[in-house]
Amino acid sequence: MSPETVQMIIDDLGALLLFTMILIIAAGQISHAIHAVAAQSLLIAIAGAVLATATGNADLWVIAGVTLAIKAIALPWVLHWVVRRLNVRREIEPVIAVSATLALAVVVVVMSFHLSASLGSVRQAITGNALPVGIALTLLGVLVMATRKTALTQMVGLFASENGIFFTAMAVTQGMPLIIEIGVILDVILAALVMTIMLLRVRSTVDADIADLDRLRG
Amino acid sequence: MAQTLLWVLPLVPTVTALLMLMTRDRRILSAIDVGSSAVLFALTLVLAREVAAGGPQALSVLRVDDLGLVFLLLLVVLTLAVSIYTVGWLRQAVTVGNMKAESLRSYFALVHAFVATMVVTVLADNLGVLWIAMEGTTITSAVLIGYHGHQHGLEAAWKYIIVTTIGISFGLFGTVLVYAAATDVMAGPGAMSWSAIMKIAPSLDPGIVRIGFIFVIVGYGTKAGLAPMHLWLPDAHSQAPTPVGALLSGILIKCALLAIIRFQTIAAAACGPAFPAEVLLVFGLISIVVATPFILAQRDIKRLLGYHSVEHVGIVALGLGFGGSVGTYGALLHVVNHGITKALAFFAAGTAIARYGSRDIHVIRGLLAVAPIGATFLMLAALSLAGTPPFSIFVSELMVLRAGIGHGHWVEIAIFLAMVVVIFAGLLHHVSAMVFGEPPAAADREAEAWSPVLGMLLLAAIMILFGLTIPASFDWVLQRATEVVVG
Repeated sequence: MSPETVQMIIDDLGALLLFTMILIIAAGQISHAIHAVAAQSLLIAIAGAVLATATGNADLWVIAGVTLAIKAIALPWVLHWVVRRLNVRREIEPVIAVSATLALAVVVVVMSFHLSASLGSVRQAITGNALPVGIALTLLGVLVMATRKTALTQMVGLFASENGIFFTAMAVTQGMPLIIEIGVILDVILAALVMTIMLLRVRSTVDADIADLDRLRG
Repeated sequence: MAQTLLWVLPLVPTVTALLMLMTRDRRILSAIDVGSSAVLFALTLVLAREVAAGGPQALSVLRVDDLGLVFLLLLVVLTLAVSIYTVGWLRQAVTVGNMKAESLRSYFALVHAFVATMVVTVLADNLGVLWIAMEGTTITSAVLIGYHGHQHGLEAAWKYIIVTTIGISFGLFGTVLVYAAATDVMAGPGAMSWSAIMKIAPSLDPGIVRIGFIFVIVGYGTKAGLAPMHLWLPDAHSQAPTPVGALLSGILIKCALLAIIRFQTIAAAACGPAFPAEVLLVFGLISIVVATPFILAQRDIKRLLGYHSVEHVGIVALGLGFGGSVGTYGALLHVVNHGITKALAFFAAGTAIARYGSRDIHVIRGLLAVAPIGATFLMLAALSLAGTPPFSIFVSELMVLRAGIGHGHWVEIAIFLAMVVVIFAGLLHHVSAMVFGEPPAAADREAEAWSPVLGMLLLAAIMILFGLTIPASFDWVLQRATEVVVG
């Protein structure tokens, strides 16, 4: 593949990633948000495969495979399992209206592109628009976590945020060292596991969503 | 020898964590706990001697220099004190039912896994390994914070894991950006190693490093408890079991500060020292100002100590921001002084809470009549935390002040002094009300157990010693650590 083709594919994938992010923000039901974040992880895995073919870096194949298995299949499956287990009927419960969040999201995306356009020469070290897309995904993930009250949606926001980092990390020339990426993914799995256990534990003692607890103040 | 120690050090608490799972007996568990911490302490002293003789030592992704050594020494001293304190604390907690006797082994296993991740954080040379270990500390300590299993503990643990995980994912993004800048200059996997990046740091692209540093300070700053990212801190520090609270406040937030210092040196070399200094000053001032009203209005003694940590992390950031040898030396000394003193304060507060069955400052009265030794330690710790001479924190605060005056940061100095005076009054008012006065009849007047007293004595001795004079060998470590930062 020529560098131009790779850059074009990465840019297209970046656009799709932003689209899945919009789906997560606009999702009215938790299961839709989980589907969207799974699709997002799938796109990250495809991006990894494309970059692996283009650069001949075998490590990226491993990362793409692990991303597919863990973030696109296993973690969404666990989240769906928790939804069924807890019998979540509540909707997403945004703190501020979804339309307002979407407006904020547009601002974040524009600012991310503006910021990285000001960087100039360094952008050569990162393929295509992976830097602004990565920054935007990371910040939008935080936005989701800040504007949603249910624990599961906060976890979805966290995964989306980490997808943004992975996308940028893959597109850095040569990619990140494999052992580091594996370590990061391992941490994500452990964190998700601990969060799930806490969620279930609170639900079994008091009938409340852990993110709803607000006794500790001041 | 020294290189062997680099991988043995994290291995000791890891193996201990696994050993803990073998038995359920409280006495054996406590014995392993104290023994392992003592071994860790002794090995660190050996490593310190090797570094003093042969300079920084490296082994693949791990590396120890004097800067890391300052934090490592603080870590092992606190771990040892915590282990000694835990013996008596646990006996009491099991009797009252705060800790379940059958799940003690997982508690000890988690504490040592937590210590192991912190050791790796301090020794990491590879910035990716640094991040992985930092997330590891979040996962292990989150479980410990919710360990009591009641609703408040779990709420604090959830807030902690969500806020700090999202926070340090910013740290990872910053790391990726710095890595991208470094691969632009040099090829190969060395581009993630801090010592390798430092060699080429002046030729890094300043634009991307600047953005990277902002991400890093927001990210690791969350973990360090810098305001306005500190929201998790008072909850987590107050809900965690007392020994864990002491570790969180004493050393964990300092590990995050070390990560910030590592990136500060890179940013200072790439974009000039003024840029990271300004960012640190802003976050430092916000932390001090935000913490003050909460300290004054606080009724929960452990939350009070938590907010107080926010203030002191702010002071360290100010010291780093003022910069120069005096400011940096003062900041590093403050890291050690605050770690020791805050752990002591948590210990003393924990024993007081156990006696009164309440964390409310208005309920804890006349501690001096109930538990004279514990009350004395609490008073000493509070005097030191407030910045009274001749205790250690006075010395390091003075150094930070002097650095600020020396560089003409008058506005920052004025705000800093005003807040410190207000906090001085507020803290001493709260604590003297707890220590003196007439104790309620319900207070537990049992004789004080030896092990918590011994743990507190160890820390108090260091606190008083550092107030009077800094031992020459440690002063030497601090000076060379300052050189690592200032260059």
